[in-house]
Amino acid sequence: MKRHLLTVAILGGLIVLLVLVNQWLGIRLYDRIATNLCISLVLVLGLQVFMGNSGILSFAHMGFMGVGAYTSAVLTIPAQMKGMALPDLYPFLQAVQVSPYLAIAAGGIVAALVAAALSYPLMRLSDAAAVITSFALLVVLYTVMTHWSQVTNGPRTLFGLPKATDLPLAAGVAILALIAALVFKESRTGRLLRASRDDETAAAALGAHIPSLRWRAFILAALFAGVGGALWGHFITSFSPKAFYLKETFLILSMLVIGGANTVTGAIVGTFIVTIAYESLRGFEGVLNEAKIMSNPVIGLTEIVLALAMIAVLALRPGGLFPTREIGALFGRKKTRQENAG
Amino acid sequence: MGQSMSEKSLNAAGVSVEFSGLRALDNVSLTLSPAEIVGLIGPNGSGKTTLINAITGQVPLAGGRVTIGGDQISGLSPRRIALKGINRSFQIVRLFNNMTVVENVESSALAHGVSLRQAREKANTLLAEFSLSEKAEDLAGNLSYGDKRRVEIARALAADPAFLLLDEPAAGMNEAESETLLHILSELPRTRGLGLLIIDHDMGLIMRLCNRLHVLASGRTIAEGKADEVRKNPAVIEAYLGSEAANA
Ligand SMILES: Nc1ncnc2c1ncn2[C@@H]1O[C@H](COP(=O)(O)OP(=O)(O)O)[C@@H](O)[C@H]1O
Ligand SMILES: [Mg+2]
Repeated sequence: MKRHLLTVAILGGLIVLLVLVNQWLGIRLYDRIATNLCISLVLVLGLQVFMGNSGILSFAHMGFMGVGAYTSAVLTIPAQMKGMALPDLYPFLQAVQVSPYLAIAAGGIVAALVAAALSYPLMRLSDAAAVITSFALLVVLYTVMTHWSQVTNGPRTLFGLPKATDLPLAAGVAILALIAALVFKESRTGRLLRASRDDETAAAALGAHIPSLRWRAFILAALFAGVGGALWGHFITSFSPKAFYLKETFLILSMLVIGGANTVTGAIVGTFIVTIAYESLRGFEGVLNEAKIMSNPVIGLTEIVLALAMIAVLALRPGGLFPTREIGALFGRKKTRQENAG
Repeated sequence: MGQSMSEKSLNAAGVSVEFSGLRALDNVSLTLSPAEIVGLIGPNGSGKTTLINAITGQVPLAGGRVTIGGDQISGLSPRRIALKGINRSFQIVRLFNNMTVVENVESSALAHGVSLRQAREKANTLLAEFSLSEKAEDLAGNLSYGDKRRVEIARALAADPAFLLLDEPAAGMNEAESETLLHILSELPRTRGLGLLIIDHDMGLIMRLCNRLHVLASGRTIAEGKADEVRKNPAVIEAYLGSEAANA
């Protein structure tokens, strides 16, 4: 218990520090990056809840982020703007306009419900079959988002969401997500799911109902993704379905995998590292292009370097930077070792 | 609950198993009663592991049935069979390697619906019994082979099974380790009232532990009964004990 509190204190402290530095610096660019980082934390922690505990790679996560973002959009775009923003909207939704904070929660709940309804059959699958079907699920969600113009405005950009997300809100939700991910990991479901991750046959032979354990984690993961999506929608205020597809999927996967999928610490450290690397590289790309050192503009450098970093981490440290133990447990162990030695 | 369960026997009747044409078990019948220890022996490839797999639902039966106190369990999933009170260890240890030792042990109690706190208490008690308390917070994957074996048995016991099926629990252990294990196992029927089926190649260990022996060769039962009688059975000596008897 002490170790878990230490983990929350250290990782939560990191997030609080991010907010404090922002107040102190007062730079707009930093504020944007830090807020996006906190939203990424919510998403990656959600991915960790499913992937880290079940050991099954899921590509579908960004799809549920989209569900959350669109749900919150439909619920919050001011009634008088809806005619323009969502010309095909169902009449019964035209007058609906709730508080963004309520809508963010609703975004999470709707994403969780969609996940609950769609995913149970997939939870019996393992290995390659599970990965491929999660990818298929992403494609389905993306296709629905691009075609269901009544609620998404189709492939076009949807605008008019009220700006409600700022850094303190995003950071607060990220800290809640951190606590929820740790609580889940240590719950009965979390423990049995981790057992099935390490050895499916042995876990079933002990009496664990693996599909149902995975299902619960998948629903919780979608809840995180939906909340993250809605938070992001109320930060960026306009988006299109493209925002919830392959490039973004790769980004959150690289965050989780580089940090270490099995631990909440890994999810958080990976998100920080990849965000900082991503933004630095993008800045560097911009400088290169400005200075016209190359004859052609440099495009895609960021993505390539990130992909290489992910390959390097997987080759050298397959479990990521924090493969098994949470940071609080690592500190706790060091201390007891020293005590034993002394 | 444990009481009513422990009055029933585990019964495999005429069990056959086939692997794409190969008959790995042919019409094998075995009964395991509460509070008794039965040794399952036979040469390599004779079907011992397959019999455990058949009882626990890991392989489908081509014939026969398995019951507990008359209730059929064959045909159920491994998970449901586990919840009926049968637990096992594996010939090649299967631990949850990225989890700690105590998490491994408590997992089986959790699967049976025990509360988090009670599961932890149970796991700690078992770890103390198995002299593993010091290693409770180590990762299971980092243990020595002998320790892994003991963790696996402790994990099986944390579910309070009525029947425990152990597949070569002493394999790879040194003399001292297997002596300790023998002591722990010999106490189980008395302290927990459970029926123990144990596969092992160490005849010394088997003879000291078991009331009854069941001998398989090429998937068939060639002898069963009281341990010292089976040991003298000419068919058994020829099929299995020959080399060891000569060595002795
Ligand atoms: N999953 C399997 N698929 C195919 N053949 C198997 C399988 N499991 C066991 N066998 C075969 O069944 C026979 C009995 O094996 P096993 O039960 O492991 O023997 P034992 O445990 O007595 O050494 C062997 O011939 C083995 O090759
Ligand atoms: Mg075997």
